[in-house]
Amino acid sequence: MEEEEYQKMIKRCVRCSVCKWIPQVQIKSQKYASGCPAIDIYNFHPYSGGGKIIIALAYEMGRIKPTEELRDIVYKCTACGNCAVACKYMNTLEPLEIIMKLREKLVNTGCGPMPQQQAYIEAVKKVNNPYNEPHEKRTDWIPDDVTLDPNAKILYFVGCTSSYRRKEMAIATARIMNEAGVSFNILQNDEFCCGSPILRIGDTTTFEEILNKNLDIIESRGIETVVFSCAGCYDTFKVDYPLSRKFDFEVKHTVELFDELIESEQLKLTDNVPIIVTYHDPCHLGRNAERYEDWDGDVVPLMPLVSINIPPKPKRTGSKGIYDAPRKILKKIPGLKLLEMERIQEYAYCCGAGAGVKSAFPEMALKTANMRIEEAEDSGADFLVSACPFCSTNLQDGINDKKSKLKYFDISEILLMALGLEPEKLKQATAEVL
Amino acid sequence: MLKEEILKEFQKIVGDENIDDGEVTTNTYAYNWCVEFVNYLANKDPIPFSSIPKAIILPSTTEEVQKIVQLCNKYDIQFKAQSTGLGPWNQPSTDNCVILDLRRMNKIVKIDVKNLYVVVEPYVSGAQIQVEVMKFGLNIHMPGAGPMASALASHTSMCGPGFTSPQTGHSARNVLGTEWVLPTGKILRLGSLGLKKESDWYSGDGPGPSLRGIMRGWVGTKSGLGVFTRVAMKLFPYPCNTKYIAKGHSPLYDFHLPDFIRAYLLDCRNFKHLEKSLLRIEEEEIAFICSHMSSFAVMAIFSYSLESLMDKIAIGSMKKPLVIVIAARTKREFDYKQKVMNLIMDELNLTNIIGSKYEPKSLFYAECLRANLGYHGFIATGGFQSAKGQCDTAALCLNTERKNIPLKQKYIEKGVIANDFGEGAWMTSYESGHYFHMEVPTLFDQTNAESVKGIAEYMEESNQMDLVKHLGTPFFIEGDELHDEWGPHLMNYHIWLRKIKETFDPNGISDPGFYISSKKGDV
Amino acid sequence: MIMNNDNFLQNLTKICGSRNISREPKDLEEYSKDLSFLKGKSPLCIVWPSKSQEVIKIVKLANDLKFHVIPVSLNSRFKQHGNSIPRKDKSIILNLSRMNKILSINRKNRVVMVEPGVTFEKLIPILKKEGLKLLLPVMPTASQSVLATALEREPITIPRYHWDSSDPLLCIEVVFGTGDLFRTGTAAGPGTIKQQQKMGQAQVNPMGPTQFSPFRIIQGAQGSLGVVTWATLKLELFPSIQKVYHLQSDNIQDLLDLQYELLKYRLCDELFILNDVNLACLLKEDQQEISQLVGNLERWNLIFIISGRGPLANDKISYLEGDIDDISAELGLNFSKSKVEITDKEIFHFLNEPCENPWRMRLKGAYQDMFFLTSFEKLPKFISLMETKFEKDLGIYIQPINQGTSYHIEFDLLYDPKDINEMKSIKEKNMGVRAQLMDFGAFFSKPYGLWAKDVFSHHSLEIIDALKKVKKIFDPNNVLNPGVLCFDD
Repeated sequence: MEEEEYQKMIKRCVRCSVCKWIPQVQIKSQKYASGCPAIDIYNFHPYSGGGKIIIALAYEMGRIKPTEELRDIVYKCTACGNCAVACKYMNTLEPLEIIMKLREKLVNTGCGPMPQQQAYIEAVKKVNNPYNEPHEKRTDWIPDDVTLDPNAKILYFVGCTSSYRRKEMAIATARIMNEAGVSFNILQNDEFCCGSPILRIGDTTTFEEILNKNLDIIESRGIETVVFSCAGCYDTFKVDYPLSRKFDFEVKHTVELFDELIESEQLKLTDNVPIIVTYHDPCHLGRNAERYEDWDGDVVPLMPLVSINIPPKPKRTGSKGIYDAPRKILKKIPGLKLLEMERIQEYAYCCGAGAGVKSAFPEMALKTANMRIEEAEDSGADFLVSACPFCSTNLQDGINDKKSKLKYFDISEILLMALGLEPEKLKQATAEVL
Repeated sequence: MLKEEILKEFQKIVGDENIDDGEVTTNTYAYNWCVEFVNYLANKDPIPFSSIPKAIILPSTTEEVQKIVQLCNKYDIQFKAQSTGLGPWNQPSTDNCVILDLRRMNKIVKIDVKNLYVVVEPYVSGAQIQVEVMKFGLNIHMPGAGPMASALASHTSMCGPGFTSPQTGHSARNVLGTEWVLPTGKILRLGSLGLKKESDWYSGDGPGPSLRGIMRGWVGTKSGLGVFTRVAMKLFPYPCNTKYIAKGHSPLYDFHLPDFIRAYLLDCRNFKHLEKSLLRIEEEEIAFICSHMSSFAVMAIFSYSLESLMDKIAIGSMKKPLVIVIAARTKREFDYKQKVMNLIMDELNLTNIIGSKYEPKSLFYAECLRANLGYHGFIATGGFQSAKGQCDTAALCLNTERKNIPLKQKYIEKGVIANDFGEGAWMTSYESGHYFHMEVPTLFDQTNAESVKGIAEYMEESNQMDLVKHLGTPFFIEGDELHDEWGPHLMNYHIWLRKIKETFDPNGISDPGFYISSKKGDV
Repeated sequence: MIMNNDNFLQNLTKICGSRNISREPKDLEEYSKDLSFLKGKSPLCIVWPSKSQEVIKIVKLANDLKFHVIPVSLNSRFKQHGNSIPRKDKSIILNLSRMNKILSINRKNRVVMVEPGVTFEKLIPILKKEGLKLLLPVMPTASQSVLATALEREPITIPRYHWDSSDPLLCIEVVFGTGDLFRTGTAAGPGTIKQQQKMGQAQVNPMGPTQFSPFRIIQGAQGSLGVVTWATLKLELFPSIQKVYHLQSDNIQDLLDLQYELLKYRLCDELFILNDVNLACLLKEDQQEISQLVGNLERWNLIFIISGRGPLANDKISYLEGDIDDISAELGLNFSKSKVEITDKEIFHFLNEPCENPWRMRLKGAYQDMFFLTSFEKLPKFISLMETKFEKDLGIYIQPINQGTSYHIEFDLLYDPKDINEMKSIKEKNMGVRAQLMDFGAFFSKPYGLWAKDVFSHHSLEIIDALKKVKKIFDPNNVLNPGVLCFDD
């Protein structure tokens, strides 16, 4: 968000609190009416999207100083974007972008980010991943039987979390692509953090460096399509990179690719998977994975105080997230029954891990996960499925913490089952990293 | 900030994590919608921040509220309670005030299906109640503020007209048993709730006189006379089948229309014709929604962005628009209601624009049922407030609207409020036309100092006109200054109101900013 | 100022004229008692003011000379609850029966403005001519004050029109115990009533002014906080077609279940349940006919009316009949037909007309009534209790109120006033049973006479304290009707 727009927008919150809820016409029960984990957990208004707009204004007016109190509140937010969807149902404010800008300002003054987040920035700078794992171990997840094609035009960008923490997702993705006969490659030791965790905490300078590095490499390889199993990497490449630097290759999340492969019958779902699942929409694959559209219109004064955009300025409302592909995949799996939670798609509740919260405020992350797990349980499903390694980690932490009977799988693992590709073997592979 | 020892005492009541006197939190609570022009009217800097509260406290039970109020009395600190917290009346009026944010009191205590009421705590929104009572074929009255607003606040403390008022009335009249922490810290339980044995929520009146008479009046005391912690409110039949399904994506959800619902958009020739139409339709008791509004407002309720508002020129040049929604549970009921509407339209020479010149999106019906139409007022400038707020007959409301037009046009010509040709109005019937509410939504730019000044001056002049021309009392007559100005013209009511304040809040602890102070010397 | 007979009477005469004051022993005797078991004191005089200004002066005089004022709306012989007989010495009766004007009838806004002396007998036919329907309690007495009935929160028989417990009362003009005149709701202003009306106002919004609604504390106060000199009352339009449903059953739960559905969906107008005794008393005047009818009626009778108006009246009736049939079928209910023919006309008569003498007196000559509010579920429990205490001559009336959010249940203990033993027994049982009902959770929202004290002892002290504070504001010298409610305890 440009500074000028930021300065205008922070004066316009009407404090209606719609940002605390999912869109009003989507509320189906008292229990699952809220949409913002931060306000649900911390209750004070500044934790809400609208509250942070007020903070931004108060900060600009010099009413509040860059203190630890301020930092704490601004960073206790998963940047899930529910506030933006709820607000823009009718209004035109961008609470999520304001939060991001506010973080950027805190970083620039030295107030932000949180120390734990600063530590992972340093790790990325040093070893190219926020987990501070040795760079050379990035490809350790690759099983011997996976085939890579050095000449492929499709690149699988594995991402730090799938490479180091959620290897089962990387393995499943690779196996499925092999099974479908999709020729792909990975960047091996030239793959670095996508920059998402750094961008979300407001270090835009470091992020710029990373994105340039990544784009330079990918573009130098003549890649046509980059595939992501990580929703965070996908969102960052798809939505955030183009704001700084345009690129020509296509980006796809694995659910989009898998859906196409099933449609084209390159993947044949042969095995019965008689389970009841519910699907969690990752924020980065759902509402936030909507590209900014270029707009080159005019702001035309209609009457004193009222101006309109001609042509209408596209509004990111969350409607263009990837919602259908994962559901189509799940619905095509023989024997599988999909039950929806109450909060889905652009008004899905966050898993609780995003935007540096998992590292700086693990309790907040866990509490949020527990709330989401409860909703999944209430759906009547036995299995919780998603398509993001961050969600995977945090929701599994929640399942363990809550001692829930739910079992978590990434959608690629479920697909593996339907393809008869010995998911047990996969589980063995994952055991060592869990 | 609070003194350390006082802070500790509050912490003992609610726990460390539920009180915050930090700079960021207190400043955030100092902000609200329309505070800038309230500040202007009070000769203060027209910024959207009020006095900064000393601390924000999040009680979770009535007992905690009681202890907080007692402590406030002990240390002579004022308190202001808020639930969902929209609007300047949630703001502290002095620097010596703590805010009780009742967000943690968020339970639906009881849905009494057989006795047709629901009992809720402060932080349960209208939508949350509606979705739960719909399961029993029932509905709740929601105010124009919308489904995200606290139902308790509307019923106990605010003026409560809503789009569905023809069938769901006024929130002040839907109150049953009420739990009320008085400014002294005593807990008053009204009506059947005050029974020592077998207390229950079904009545808020008596024994003998109804203390609802001092509890809220027409527009509510805005936390000027204690804190309401639980209230029973009447439920109404849900007007049609309760399948409420909105598919697709935000904002243009595809709403699956219930079996029997239909909207009418009628254009009346003039005020007289409009009055006749309003009364005629309402005495037939068929409307779920019966609202008159300006063409500009009609365009807004069918739009989801400023740009799409401009697409609706076809309905933007109506003379005196009237929006009617009928809904029914059975086909027989629906057929009958449509027949009545046809009869009336024939009688009054009216045509339904919907279906002929204009077809609303299905989402319009979803918003009608969820009482979300008022929120469209923010579309054009983001800044919006209503002048007026009269409530009596249709004739009074329309007279007020008519007389207001030249006044409003004066401010439009100055360029300080948006141009709705001076006709901006929203009017609804209550209780099948037994009385009516009218307000004048006015669009301004809260970031533009001239506009802020403009709407403030317009509202002041509008109030003056109502006073001088006997056009009823606007709904924002609250606070010492306005009470002292209006009281002598309204049976010296301010003297009685002040006596109530003095009697029930002897230490002046419940923030009187949007109520009245005891001003002991003057009584 | 010290009161003495001279200055007291001189002043009153100056205010009202000597013709409007009586100290006749017969009158004093009449106003010192009513049909309750409460023993009153003899008033000093009876005064008949004719306008608000006189009421103001009298109440101010009472404050100055320290005498008490007992407001009474009419001369009715049938006062029942001990709420308008002097409890203290130095009391005068303020009889408002000569303030009996219908000040305005407004068809367009469905509202009437009346003074306290306007009776049901007078008002009902006048309104009917205008196509308007007064919201009535079940068969009021002809000479009963319409305004006083509304002030006492007497339940009306059409629960769907009972939008608030205060209905049909809207705005009032009241003289507070201080002698100050006040008008409530939108009647408060700005402007005089005439000026308001010129702008189209009709005093139909009872709420306010602004942040309090004083009419609610005057209502139910039994004249102890203010004297109401006029009120506006909410009206409905008179239907052109009505259909009567009279369903009978031995099982009250079946009837309760059906009435709940009718109410929930607002399908009918008048709606209530009566036992055999009370229905017979409403239908017949003669003692023998009543007894005979009781024998032919089922124990419980649900009466409800559907109505239509205008060119589509029949269409409305058809739709309501269809919907009601569906509901009855869903509930699987079968009701017995009456063994005797009760005509619609007879039912309309008691629904729409007042009676000369109270219908509750018809069977035995006298009655004591016990009424309170309760919830749907508790009704059968109270009925069982009362039926074990009173095996015969017990009339029961169940009226859903406030759109079905609570139920007024009334037990009428019918007795022969000439039978000393019977009267004594009723008197004794009366208090004991009331206490038991209260222990069971009966909410006596209108505590009258002897049992008021008991009622307040069953309520939290905070309520009593708050009411006393209100009394102190509006009647600081305890001038108005002392001894009622909890104010003197």
